[in-house]
Amino acid sequence: MSVATTIMTPTTLTASVSASNQPLQLGLGSYEGIAPMIVLGLTALALFTVDSVYPDSTNNTLLSGLTVVGSLIALVITGTQLVTGVESTELFSGQLVVDEMSLFFTFIFTSVTALIALASHEYIGDREYQGEYYALVVLAAIGMTLLANSNSFATAFISLELASLPSYALVAYLKDNRGSVEAGMKYFLIGALSSAVFAYGISLVYGVTGSLLFTDVAATLTEGIDGSLTGVLGIGVVMILGGVAFKTASVPFHFWAPEAYEGAPAPISAFLSSASKAAGFVLAFRIFITAFPADAIAGIDWVLAFQILALVTMTLGNFAAATQETVKRMLAYSSIGHAGYVLIALGALTGAADQSFVLSAGMIHLLVYGFMNTGAFLFVALAEHWGIGRTFEDYNGLAKKAPVACAAMSIFLFSLAGLPTGGGMLSKYFLLLGAVNAEAYVLAVGLIVNSALSLYFYSRVVKAMWIEEPASDLTIDGYPTGLYAAIVVAAVVTFLLLPALAIFSDPALTAGSGLF
Amino acid sequence: MIPSQYYLVLSAAVFCIGLFGILTRRNALIFLMSVELMLNAANINFVAFSIQNGNLTGQVFSLFTIALAAAEVAVGIGIILVLYRNFNDVDVTTATTMRW
Repeated sequence: MSVATTIMTPTTLTASVSASNQPLQLGLGSYEGIAPMIVLGLTALALFTVDSVYPDSTNNTLLSGLTVVGSLIALVITGTQLVTGVESTELFSGQLVVDEMSLFFTFIFTSVTALIALASHEYIGDREYQGEYYALVVLAAIGMTLLANSNSFATAFISLELASLPSYALVAYLKDNRGSVEAGMKYFLIGALSSAVFAYGISLVYGVTGSLLFTDVAATLTEGIDGSLTGVLGIGVVMILGGVAFKTASVPFHFWAPEAYEGAPAPISAFLSSASKAAGFVLAFRIFITAFPADAIAGIDWVLAFQILALVTMTLGNFAAATQETVKRMLAYSSIGHAGYVLIALGALTGAADQSFVLSAGMIHLLVYGFMNTGAFLFVALAEHWGIGRTFEDYNGLAKKAPVACAAMSIFLFSLAGLPTGGGMLSKYFLLLGAVNAEAYVLAVGLIVNSALSLYFYSRVVKAMWIEEPASDLTIDGYPTGLYAAIVVAAVVTFLLLPALAIFSDPALTAGSGLF
Repeated sequence: MIPSQYYLVLSAAVFCIGLFGILTRRNALIFLMSVELMLNAANINFVAFSIQNGNLTGQVFSLFTIALAAAEVAVGIGIILVLYRNFNDVDVTTATTMRW
């Protein structure tokens, strides 16, 4: 391994520094692209302000309302920009990029944030430290949004940490609850380890290519690097892959996921398994497609690595989910399984067929998943709010008491399994088509087998709710407005995504074309 | 001038010491220290490669890493504190209310 190919003298160092010293290109118009982030930032500051003006009393409705309104404004801005179309713009000397993909993911993050802020209103009820709770949720959402916009390893690392650090604290939010604290600790330990591995991987890639900007890294790699450095680069790429696998809860860094999702407050489980996972995937798309184009680093076959990861992740997630006794843990493992499905989007980039099709299919699946999975976890939040227990049997006969919520839950579960009650069927179908077109037949078979298996454990919940007789002491107290509203909105959107995706399949399937 | 591969060997050694600490020690505080070692291994690389590549990007990134490591420790210590209050121990293997 000879790394010292060039030894710079101090004079050349200063020369190259001043040469790269371009003026910052920042007109007023360029802020338009990061407006959702600015709105979210202002929301977080407003939450802190409210909390410090009234330190002794907690106005739950005000805090939750502020968060919902803030994320809805960001959502509307993002939606408008998505509909009117946006040119790919680089901001801050190329550190951030605003394009269709970043807006698409910002749309997912802001809608999930709005849903869980609405649901948290009753879930955290009259607990202490609510200002901090909502502020941390919004700060984590900013981190995820920034991650979707990042165009260099520096911004990617910082925004990854900005998304992760509030999440650790949020998982351990119920600090008198041993499960929540244990979950927070395990999430933190594995998160800290994987971010150190990620940073070390970045340092190796920087050493080989001399830049942190995704586009510059790709340019250097396309020119070709010294053959003796391929080993160092390969280790760097594998370490970066590890950091991404942690954020997306994929094998081999998935161990934290079942614990963290089970122990965390249920709205936070929803937030982590939908938004945080999507953030991990947008990072993976940007790094591996923009910075490490498959044809530029011929020696390191990351497409094959993702094929193996996808297959192992979806199989492990679904088989483990089938053996669970508690609903929340079953959803946690099914969330690992869905990470495996979306990994097909990277594993099928074999160059055999239209690459942007399969990438868009992965993005669409994340969008649908953002609603159906959030909804399913919010139903668990509702059950925890009523205090009816955690196992499948505890849900027996629930439909007689709460038909609306149970109907919504059935929509989520069947859509997760891939039945036509929601957008889940079409997004899985797109992924399947993408895998077949790319001649990755093993992935296609894995997707079908695992979806068939998943129908078994999703139907167990539906059967318990609608068919089994309720236990004699099953009582539920009240119908919490915010939680109900969030669940119903998620169900309506999940359902409407089915016709919407069928009608607008052509524009939807070009969502990922900007990266190629 | 010291060739870059020496720095690479040094940082790899520091990284492996950190990784070894994480895999073998059960005290959560020592776990935190081990993570710090791994992050600082990355910093050694960044500063060394920064000189070699002739730009300051790496040195700036190592400043970010230091700041983020401090933030991470702040959150981590908080979590370890509530861990101690709930389980009367900072051993990461005592907290087993859920299956691992």
